[in-house]
Formats: sequence, C-alpha cells, structure tokens
Amino acid sequence: MKSFRKILVLALSFVLTFTLAACSGGGSSEGGSSASEGGIDDSKNVKIGVLVADATGAEALAFRSYYENYIAKQYNVTFMYSDELTDAAAEASAIDNFIANNCKAIISFASSDRPAQIRKCAENKVYYAVATGTLSDEEYAEFKDNEYYVGAIGPDLATEFQAGYDMAKFYLDQGKTKFAIFGGATPYYTDMHIYRTAGMLVAMCEAGGGTYNGASDFGSMIGKIYEMNCQLEPAKIGSVEVVSYIGGYDFDDAWFGKLAEAANNPNVEVLLTVGSGLDTFAAFKQESQQLATVDSYTSDAVAAMKSGVLNYLAGKYSASIGPIFMATLSAVQGKPIRTANGEALALSQGYWVATSAEEAEKFYAVDSSTEDPAYTRAMLDTLFGASYDDFAKFVSAYSFEEIQNLKK
Amino acid sequence: MSKGKRLACTAAIPLLVCVITNLICMAKGVAMFESSLHVLTLIRAVANVILVTYALSINLNSGRFDFSVGSIALLSSVLSSAITLKYGLGPVPMLALSLLFGLLLGLLSGFVYITLKLPPMIISLGVALFYEGLAYSITDGHGISFINNKELLGFGTIPNYLIIIVCALIFMVILFDQTTFGYDYKALLSGQRVAVNTGIKEKKNALICYGAAGLLMGAQGFISATTTGSIQMSLNFGSIGIMFTAFLPMFIGGYIGRFSNDKLGYLLGAVSMAFISLTYVRLMVNSSVQQVVSALLLVGFLIYLNNEQRILSLFRKTH
Repeated sequence: MKSFRKILVLALSFVLTFTLAACSGGGSSEGGSSASEGGIDDSKNVKIGVLVADATGAEALAFRSYYENYIAKQYNVTFMYSDELTDAAAEASAIDNFIANNCKAIISFASSDRPAQIRKCAENKVYYAVATGTLSDEEYAEFKDNEYYVGAIGPDLATEFQAGYDMAKFYLDQGKTKFAIFGGATPYYTDMHIYRTAGMLVAMCEAGGGTYNGASDFGSMIGKIYEMNCQLEPAKIGSVEVVSYIGGYDFDDAWFGKLAEAANNPNVEVLLTVGSGLDTFAAFKQESQQLATVDSYTSDAVAAMKSGVLNYLAGKYSASIGPIFMATLSAVQGKPIRTANGEALALSQGYWVATSAEEAEKFYAVDSSTEDPAYTRAMLDTLFGASYDDFAKFVSAYSFEEIQNLKK
Repeated sequence: MSKGKRLACTAAIPLLVCVITNLICMAKGVAMFESSLHVLTLIRAVANVILVTYALSINLNSGRFDFSVGSIALLSSVLSSAITLKYGLGPVPMLALSLLFGLLLGLLSGFVYITLKLPPMIISLGVALFYEGLAYSITDGHGISFINNKELLGFGTIPNYLIIIVCALIFMVILFDQTTFGYDYKALLSGQRVAVNTGIKEKKNALICYGAAGLLMGAQGFISATTTGSIQMSLNFGSIGIMFTAFLPMFIGGYIGRFSNDKLGYLLGAVSMAFISLTYVRLMVNSSVQQVVSALLLVGFLIYLNNEQRILSLFRKTH
C-alpha cells in the first residue's frame, strides 16, 4: 500500500510539474525562440484583434489569407477576427470582445466610427491601427499624439483620386471618347469611390476640353459630386461623353437591367468601374468594349484578363497590410514607430496596375503566394523599431518592381 | 360577377401599370421597348419575381414566414455551379442540379420545422444563417465565378426565361389545384383543427410546402447566377433581402386572385413589377428614388386594400 502511495505521489508530482511548466510556457511559439535578430520577442504570443466590415469580398479575403496563412505562421501572433461589422455599435461590441480575450492590439478594416474605436482602445490601453485606409485630417489631428494610436497605412484619398484618373486617362490616351461609369458606393457617400469617380471625370475634362456640370479640377469636382448628393448622371464633357452612369449596389432586377443597358449601348467604348467590375459589367460587356476596374488580384481576375473580359486592373496587393502589422507589433513590444514629434503614422500606399494578362499573372503569382509573398518576414523584420523615415521609405516603395528590388 | 367583368378585373392592374409606365417613358422622350434587350430585361424580371413570389406565398399563406428562401437560392446555386464547373457540364444539367438541391434544402428546412416544432420564423432564421454559412465555407468565402463560361451565361434568353415562367405556373397550378396535396393544403388554410380531425396530415403537407418552395428557389438561384456569371456570398441574413421583391406582387396577386386563379394573379403581379423595373432601367432612375417609389407603391396598395370598401363607396357617391 505504501509503495502504491509513493508511486501515486510521484505520479502526481510529475503531473503537477508538467502542468506548471505548461502554464508558465503558455502560448509560446513552436520554435520557442526568445528573440530574433531584429529584436522581435517571439517567446510570448501576441493576440491581435482584427475588425472587418467585409468578410466576403475578394480583397478582404486576400488580406485575411496573408495574415492567417503567412504572418501568423511566421510570428508568434494570433489573429482574432470579428464578424462582418456593419455599424458603430457592432464595432464597439467587437472591441469589447477582443479586450475580454486579452488582445494587446487591434487592426481595423472597419470604418463606421473610427474615432470611437480609437477612444475605446486607448481607454483600455490596447494599441489600435488602421489597415488599408486613412483618417481624415481632423481625426488625425485629434489622435496623432495618442500613444495607443499606432497609425494608418493605405491609399489616401489623393491616391484614390489618382487611381480613377489614371484608369480613365489610359483609355483617353488611346483616343476613346465614349464611357459608361459604374460608381459603386458613391451614392452612399463612400469617400473612396467618390474620389475614384472624381479622378475619372477630371481626366475626361482635361482630355475633352470641357467641364462636368461646371467642374473640371480636383477640388471643384469633389465639391460638385457632393453638391449633386452623390447622385451622378451622364454628361457631355467637351469631346468626351459619359454615355451612362450607374451607382449603388442594389442587386435587383432594375440594377442588372441598368448594367445591361449601359453595356449594350453601341456608343459605349469603355466601361469604367470604381470596383466590382467583374460582378457588374463582365457578363454584359460586348467584345468590342474595354472593361477596367479597381479590385484585387484573384485567379478569377487573371482568367478574365486572359480571356479579354477584363482589360485594366488596379489592385491592392494583399501583403500591403504587412507594414501596419509590423508597426503594431513594434508598439506592443515597446518599440513604437513615431515621427520625430512623436506622432502616429499616416502613410499612403498605391495600387499595382495591370493592363495585360501577363502583368496580372505576374502580380497574382506573388500576391497569392503563402511561401514568398510580396512582403516576407525578412523584409518586415527590418521595420521592427525602425525610424519613421526608414519606415516611410519602405512603405512608399510600393510598386511591384520596387518591392521586388527591396527583396534582393 | 360576369365572365367579362372578371376578365377585366384580372387584367386591370397589369394593363394599368403597363399604360402608366409607357406614358411616363413617353413623357421623358424614351421608348420603353427600343430593342430586344428591353424585352429580355422585362422577361428576366418576371421570371425572378414570380419564382420568389410563388416560393414565399406557399408558406406565408399558411402562416409560416420563411426567411430561408434566399439562402436556399444561394446555397443551391453554389452547389450546382460547383459541380457544373468541375465536370464541365452545360446550363441544363446545372438547372436540374439547382432544382434538386433546392428541393433537398427546402425539405431539410421543413424537416427541421416539423421536428423541432419551434415557430417557423425562428426556424427559418436559423436555417438561413446555416445555409449562408455553409455556402461561405464551401467557397472559402470567395463565391463562385464563371464569367468566362459563355455556355452558362448564354442561358439567359427570352425563350428560356419564358419556359421557366410557364413551367413554374403549370407546376403551381397542378400541385395546388389538381392534387390531393393541394386540396389538403386549402383545407388546412381554412381550418387546421378541423382538417387534421378529418385525417389530413399537416406535417406531411408542411414538408411538401417547404420542398416546393425550395425547388422554386433553386430555379431562382440558377437564373440569378447565370445572369451575372458569379455568385456573391451573403452572411448575417444578407440573403433575406430577396424576399422583399415578392411582397408587392403577392399583394397584387392576392387581389387579382379574387377574380381568377391566385397563381395567375401572382404572375400578373410579377408582370406589373417587371414593368416598373423596366421603367427604372429606361429612365436610369437612381437607386434611392427607386426605393422610395417602390415603398410608396407597396404602402399605397396596402392602404387601398385595407380601405377598399370606403374608397369604393366614395367613388360611387361621386358618380
């Protein structure tokens, strides 16, 4: 009996010892390394909450894939994703959930009420960063000195304007003069789409030598769109014509009818879309027409470019959210990246533009890789605790070629 | 009521809508039918609306509010298109698969309802979430795209849509007016307790109702997918929206049904809605105006139905 007790005590001691060891090492990475060369502490798992407003879009899925299939495997981090958030109340609830789950930082793709998100995170001493977007000037002024606001990296509104401008100019330079425009969420006052549409219209004003309802430059065009309550209409712009304009995402019979109507207009040479080009015009497009869109690099988009259904694609690359992750991790691990004045990041990134199937295929191969994506760990590690200038320089080199050069 | 008067009352609403919408277009200097595309737009709208209206009305008339119809259309089209693309099939097999999956998903929804015995509204919300989630998981959230498949996209022609419309009408008339199931369905509508006491099996009847609604939504999912060449994912009840296109035709159909067959009424209600949709297209009405007009039409018609006698008596007095 005594020997049985001894064995039992011994066994319990082993169990206790291993349990304590497991608890003390809880969350450690598989490799168990304490710090990499760049100073990143890989010994402790960092939980990061991700707020998403779109869980089904191709772009959103590509971003998620980069974080989950590459970043989470390279670093000792765990990403917790929210549901699809449609309003400020849902965002606040999701943040509460992240905080309750011991998230040390939140990266946000949701924009219903960013100031409220930042305030809530700061109150709870949780770091907050904006992925693929920017704050307005007023919002930035309010939060730039907040130590828990890491910053924002993504296409700013000037970049969005330029994306629309470049798209229209590409076809105007080829002598095309008759356009149909899909304005996406412009009627819902979505800045990103308003600025892209404005860019297209300004390019047409310059090429056609006319005005769109009296507006012809950046400032006046944005003002004009808001003056029209974001409900745009076809117009002649000098020698160029917007033959048809459709806005909104109604997905009803009338909406599909309008898209088909625009694409079947024999005068329309080019179908310009601020987004969702494949889901809107692709099925109705005539062979003689050109289709251009802002979207992400997916296998469907590449196949569409190969078959000639899609002819111009400006896409965000999925790894573009790598630098904001590193800035967030840096802040969590005590090496925040701030300007010389201690202000938060506010950096812009642009798009990769493909005008041929070969280019699209090349971009997609890199963008979809989970082994060797556009921004690899080796590249991102150089940003850990980097100076603001170095960080900004890295982010500003966003073209495909520049990133390939950075890799070398 | 004489046959001629019944015929006139049956055709009055769609004819009136047709005349008014044509006049509006003419006033704006636009011809409603300028090319065959506009006929196609009209017929496609009729096909979409009538399938949803029939599917919704089957259970709604029995007091079962079914929020899952949109998710059945979504999931059945995802499953059928995935198989179609994998095996390189054409549009007809894809339609057959859509109908099959729609039927099975509808039956599953009905089975859950008769097994759990919870209020149908709650069951259908749960089923909608489940089917949406399943579609999302199957496609990894990416949806399905076949924009390069000209054969599947080529299904969207006027004769094909007309065949679907006629088949749906015949299916509804035979199932509800020519079969024992249909007579049982009507008996249950007029008094469930009495009907059950006479030996009618209400659970079996409900199950067939859910199956029929699923079958129709399978066809709707197929039309929707082959119109755009892509299937977008919906989460968190995103698929419910399609139900709302069916309310006005249902009320119009119910009204017309007083003078003729209610299935024909729903079809004429769908035709009326399609004329309104085509007017939005021809005049390029922006979506916010479109939504306000559609809501006003629905509310206006409901006000009329609820005050019909009072309005008619006022009309008689003035004459």
